[in-house]
Amino acid sequence: MNSLTNRFSTTGPLSELKRAQALVENEEFSDSAWGSEAGFGSLAKGVPNFTVPSVPDPSAFLRLHTDDHADPNCRIKIQHGTTTLAFRFQGGVIVAVDSRATAGSYVASGTVKKVIEINPYLLGTMAGGAADCQYWETYLGIHCRLHELRNHERISVSAASKYLSNLVYSYKGMGLSMGTMICGWDKTGPAVFYVDSDGTRLKGDLFSVGSGSTFAYGVLDQGYRWDLTDEEAQELGRRSIYCCRTPRCLLWLTLEDGWKFIGNYDISKLHYDGPGETPGAGYGYDVRIERSTAAPVAVQA
Amino acid sequence: MFLTRSEYDRGVNTFSPEGRLFQVEYAIEAIKLGSTTVGVKTDEGVVLGVEKRVQSPLIESSSIEKIMEIDDHLGCAMSGLTADARTMIDHARVTAQNHSFTYDERIKVESVTQAVCDLALRFGESVHDEDAMMSRPFGVALLIAGIDELGPQLYHTDPSGTFVRYQAKAIGSGSEAAQAELQDKWHSKMTLKEAQTLTLRILKQVMEEKLDRHNVQLAQVTKEKGFEILDETSLKAIIDEM
Amino acid sequence: MPDMVALSRQQPQERQFNPYSENGGTILAISGADFSVIAGDTRQSEGYSIQTRYAPKVFRLTDKAVLAVNGFAADGNMFVKQVRQRLEWYRHAHAKDMPLRAIARLIQTMLYARRFFPYYVYNILGGIEDDGSGAVYSFDPVGSYERESCRAAGAAQSLVQPFLDNQIYFKNQVPQPGMTHPKHLPLGTVGDGLEMFVVLAKGSPLYGLENFDGVQEMTSTHEGERIFVVRRNLKRD
Repeated sequence: MNSLTNRFSTTGPLSELKRAQALVENEEFSDSAWGSEAGFGSLAKGVPNFTVPSVPDPSAFLRLHTDDHADPNCRIKIQHGTTTLAFRFQGGVIVAVDSRATAGSYVASGTVKKVIEINPYLLGTMAGGAADCQYWETYLGIHCRLHELRNHERISVSAASKYLSNLVYSYKGMGLSMGTMICGWDKTGPAVFYVDSDGTRLKGDLFSVGSGSTFAYGVLDQGYRWDLTDEEAQELGRRSIYCCRTPRCLLWLTLEDGWKFIGNYDISKLHYDGPGETPGAGYGYDVRIERSTAAPVAVQA
Repeated sequence: MFLTRSEYDRGVNTFSPEGRLFQVEYAIEAIKLGSTTVGVKTDEGVVLGVEKRVQSPLIESSSIEKIMEIDDHLGCAMSGLTADARTMIDHARVTAQNHSFTYDERIKVESVTQAVCDLALRFGESVHDEDAMMSRPFGVALLIAGIDELGPQLYHTDPSGTFVRYQAKAIGSGSEAAQAELQDKWHSKMTLKEAQTLTLRILKQVMEEKLDRHNVQLAQVTKEKGFEILDETSLKAIIDEM
Repeated sequence: MPDMVALSRQQPQERQFNPYSENGGTILAISGADFSVIAGDTRQSEGYSIQTRYAPKVFRLTDKAVLAVNGFAADGNMFVKQVRQRLEWYRHAHAKDMPLRAIARLIQTMLYARRFFPYYVYNILGGIEDDGSGAVYSFDPVGSYERESCRAAGAAQSLVQPFLDNQIYFKNQVPQPGMTHPKHLPLGTVGDGLEMFVVLAKGSPLYGLENFDGVQEMTSTHEGERIFVVRRNLKRD
């Protein structure tokens, strides 16, 4: 009887011992690190496992060393993404992002790819912790592929986003930071879901995430309609990112048969010359005023 | 006291005094009850063909799944207890996806075969204080076909966890006649088209029923298109040409 | 093992657990069409004191991959050790050397496995891809990564990176009328560091590297990729 209760109890010294043992054993040296499974490392059993410091409050430890918001002098500066947006319309889903990543106050990269190609027909955006988004969305990718192999059909955008949402929710409170839109096209047509590390998951027509999102929403809201043409929709995406004052804008379009990359735009070129690279046709301040008075529909190709 | 065979063929983990594991040997016998499965390797790709035994006219023949995709570049045909094969193939799929997650590249054909064979030997084994996850050996043999940086490859695995690479291999009830025929007809300059017809011809020879597009299944792995199961129209075209 | 659990209960616990230190130094990497250069200084310091003048932070992983590690030296050395172990396991399991892009992804998963107890390391991986092109991958401490043409990290990142941006990406440079910027930087114009690894793709010319002062070849054959190392003394202040 005693051995039975011991075996299944989750508190008490024995289970604590077991947990400590598991921690020591798992650390890089699990059986499956050898043989033909060599090297799936933290993934050997199909689920990642993580090393956690043995301190009373691991998430406080993580905050102390990596949270550059609370303490700009923290040691470990993790890369963060800034502005991303996505919206759906009759022709598909437009995904537009800037290409800047910051680590603390330093602009760590001006070329970072903030759209993660989960698979040929699902896109995920990256705002918040760059590594969190990259890692979990890649992980989501292999599970979408497994779903496809097992069920002989593509996973729906809704199911994929829920998978991600459940995944990050299981790490809630441990310090993940992720704000992402999962975009794709399934049986229900174009779809966009917002998922974040708090566990929020929302279905919607348009979302913008990141520090520049307030600016993006300003442009997005006034120009958005369901029946935008493809050109109008792309233009709306570019203009929304342009307003966030970033060096570059990257644009994707999700269609029924998978996503396609539209372009990588230099914002200063857009400012002066516009997307067509016609000198003087840019988005520059006075030009924009003239246009919006000339035509009631602010967004034109 | 010398013990007879019958006392050693119960436990999966007990060798007989002659050094045999009877349960594993019986499992290998189980495959010989299965439907015939043929695999042929060429320089252009690998062809897999299976006989679907449609025991009743009420069976939806399209629901019999004996060739399965492991990944874009890997396919698998089975003979024996097909339910066991599903466990193995799911393991292969997870291994292939884990590999691409950890290394951002496609897993090699040999590596995925090795992973499947590791699983084949897990019977009677318990991990830490958990119960054993399998109580008997798998009763299924697989032909794993794939393409990687070493070119097209065909592997055969059996319940003992042994795997061997073949140019052409047949398993299942008609395997002896089929293998003899393969030995006779296979040559290294074979085209994919020739391999398709050879596979079907051999299946036709060993099948009891008349071969048509409902009771066989053909799949191939090529460099250009990866793994694909041929649909009924293209299958019919090949049968008609035969 | 039982002792460990019991001990942690009775003994006083350190509330401000700080397992990190900063050991200074700078690393950088540049890649071109068929080569990659990875360099780092060799000084290890803590605060105002120099612990040693020769503690390499650039490590050769395979014949076509070199990893530079900056930040906390203890974490860095341990991390390189573990990467090398995984490379060896991979070699045994798959009977081939790990390609560069696979090493990059592996480093991501290894760094991310410590997401809740990060390594204090900034990694830059340089080498030759399977297609023969030179490549540089840069990482943040928890594993976000990106392939680039050049990258600097460490104490002097904010000084070196703008210089690289200007010289490699031609940022804020206007080409002469009728001319365009070269797509890849030729090896001849790349500068020197304290310890610099040069990885050349298979069959690529030496670019005058054989006459370089203090160069030493690390590869034994001339058939595959070739790795050279240049060691220089800088000012001893």
